[in-house]
Amino acid sequence: MNEPLADTPVIEAINLRKHFVTKRPLFGPPTIVRAVDGVDLRIARGETFSIVGESGCGKSTLARLLIRLLDPTEGSVVYEGRDIAALPSAEMRGLRRDLQFVFQDPFSSLNPRMTVGALIEEPMRSHGIGTPDERRGEVSRLLRRVGLRPEFADRYPHEFSGGQRQRIGIARALATGPKVLIGDEPVSALDVSVQAQVINLLEDLKEEFGLTLVVIAHDLAVVRHMSDRVGVMYLGEMVEVGPAEAFFQQPLHPYSRALLAAIPAPDPSRRHNLAPPLVGDIPNPTAPPPGCRFHTRCPFADARCKAERPALRPAGEGRQVACHYFETLPASAGLPPPPVRAPHVERRFALYRALRAQEIPQGAPKGTPSRAIAPQSEQTSRGDQS
Amino acid sequence: MQAEAPLLEVFNLSIRIGDGDRNLVDDVSFSVAAGETLCIVGESGCGKSLTALALMGLLATPPVRITSGSVVFNGRDLLTLSQNELSELRGDGIAMIFQEPMTALNPAFTIGDQIAEAVIRHRKVDKAKARERALDMLERVGIPAAETRLAAYPHQLSGGMRQRAMIAMALANDPVLLIADEPTTALDVTIQAQVLQLIRDLQKDSGTGLVLITHDLGVVAEIADKVAVMYAGRIVESAPVAALFEDPQHPYTIGLIGSLPGLEAGGRGQRLATIPGLVPTPERMPSGCRFADRCPFATDICAQTPPLRALGPDHEVACHHAPLEDAPRHDAVREGAAA
Repeated sequence: MNEPLADTPVIEAINLRKHFVTKRPLFGPPTIVRAVDGVDLRIARGETFSIVGESGCGKSTLARLLIRLLDPTEGSVVYEGRDIAALPSAEMRGLRRDLQFVFQDPFSSLNPRMTVGALIEEPMRSHGIGTPDERRGEVSRLLRRVGLRPEFADRYPHEFSGGQRQRIGIARALATGPKVLIGDEPVSALDVSVQAQVINLLEDLKEEFGLTLVVIAHDLAVVRHMSDRVGVMYLGEMVEVGPAEAFFQQPLHPYSRALLAAIPAPDPSRRHNLAPPLVGDIPNPTAPPPGCRFHTRCPFADARCKAERPALRPAGEGRQVACHYFETLPASAGLPPPPVRAPHVERRFALYRALRAQEIPQGAPKGTPSRAIAPQSEQTSRGDQS
Repeated sequence: MQAEAPLLEVFNLSIRIGDGDRNLVDDVSFSVAAGETLCIVGESGCGKSLTALALMGLLATPPVRITSGSVVFNGRDLLTLSQNELSELRGDGIAMIFQEPMTALNPAFTIGDQIAEAVIRHRKVDKAKARERALDMLERVGIPAAETRLAAYPHQLSGGMRQRAMIAMALANDPVLLIADEPTTALDVTIQAQVLQLIRDLQKDSGTGLVLITHDLGVVAEIADKVAVMYAGRIVESAPVAALFEDPQHPYTIGLIGSLPGLEAGGRGQRLATIPGLVPTPERMPSGCRFADRCPFATDICAQTPPLRALGPDHEVACHHAPLEDAPRHDAVREGAAA
């Protein structure tokens, strides 16, 4: 497996659906939430793919389906050529080494009764990686790598702040030497300054370990900073997919436009009318509107949108949009470029960055990462680790 | 804004918890005029919410106690008022919007009843009139089908609707001062945009003064007239909003702005400037400049508490080294950065 083709997806979702039954009355039909309703998606090796959308759009469900933390109602997820949705659970367990998850809330995703060391060691132990001694060494190395002190291994999660816990969660996810890391809002529970530290860390780790990152987020500024490609979800459907740069310069789907227009710009000179051309709330997902699901809030909707469901179709430059009319809609303004600072202020920021760069980093110095210790049994099967 | 007499003036407010020896809110002063928006911005634990609660007389005392300062509203020091006098004021002259409307609204009463109650509490009106006012307010905050929503319970509304209902309740008695603690943090971005625009529009119509507490610099940039940046209980920088974003002076402010994705040229691939370390906990509040142990500019002098000093019109900074680009000890680095 050396130098795989750039366009072979690492993970591919095909017509993926997940329906939850929320109510099963004695008489009459059950109430069904179509959390993910027919999503097709290809995630390329080594890219950062972000899935954005508002609460209830199905983005977290989709993330869990991609690594089979949930079983799909319909459709398949293909990882490295294998349909993991249909895999027996014993085989799936082996694959979990490759597919790891970082959760949003570092306060509820770490077992409070386990020490940090045990938490990070657990995935290695359950996959039979290394001897106890090797594993302990690996725990120290991982702790250092995520910017924590190795002696923290003997402490318990409650002794740490939100940002530190998220680092512990990341170290745990890295312990098995995964190839794909899925983060469900990995930084949204953190304060901005801590958030920036964790974003930088994720970017470094991605580079170092050659990870493919799938990030679920609602903060579009974070998404813009991190992503190669973006997918926008609305009520269980993917409404726009494309390269991040093009997306943020000119969003095509009316919902994407509204999302970008609603972001408060951190620049008072760009203060704009925040009332987006978007009225009302997301409709109830148990009874999604017919036709285009966005038509109830879309300023451009007409009779066709109410009747006919638009398919996700190519829009050039690797983009895809699910809208009947995106070609003929007036051009949209994306996010404006960052503000230009006065020279003396720019100097001040440069000075700040320069001084920060001189500081002794909290974590281990960057260097050649020693990849996870080879497992006891299948030493030869993972030749692509270098 | 200078000509307006301030609606609310806070002088040297200090707050402590239990018998701790350090102030959680330390010597904080600010003012708000009619029609003006002051944003207090800071990260978790900086004391911004304590400050907001102190303004409303809502601190749990004990264990929390106000050790010094005054809060002057309409010529009266709120800190000397009795609970009864405060109750008269709350919901009438001053109203508050909380972050989580689900916990701030009573789940056992309809929206209509709760708004009407606020009206009856402060106005000599009958039930029918109060209900009329409630309906009027729901329409003003843009709740569709307001007539039927009067009879709805909080759990029957979406998050955005609940926040609107709470705004309607807060504004029902035409307060002259509104205090909003993270009013949009729990909301999705499109709903947040609607709520911010609503607050902006209502404020324009009514001339209400607004103190908005937030951690989100984007919200600050959109809505503030002036800004106070808080760190570990102190105001470290206060400025008109344009000056704060264009010419930030305090190292903490610079770090905060540098941490924001999307503000640095280069965008993708550019590392975010960060603030290493953690906010000090109340038990370990450092003496002197509280930011010193996380500050790349810190020197020996930072063991002394820096006073707020003016560096521009209405622009005050509590840093010994500001303006930072002229700080002498960094000559070498400065050349390095310029090269």
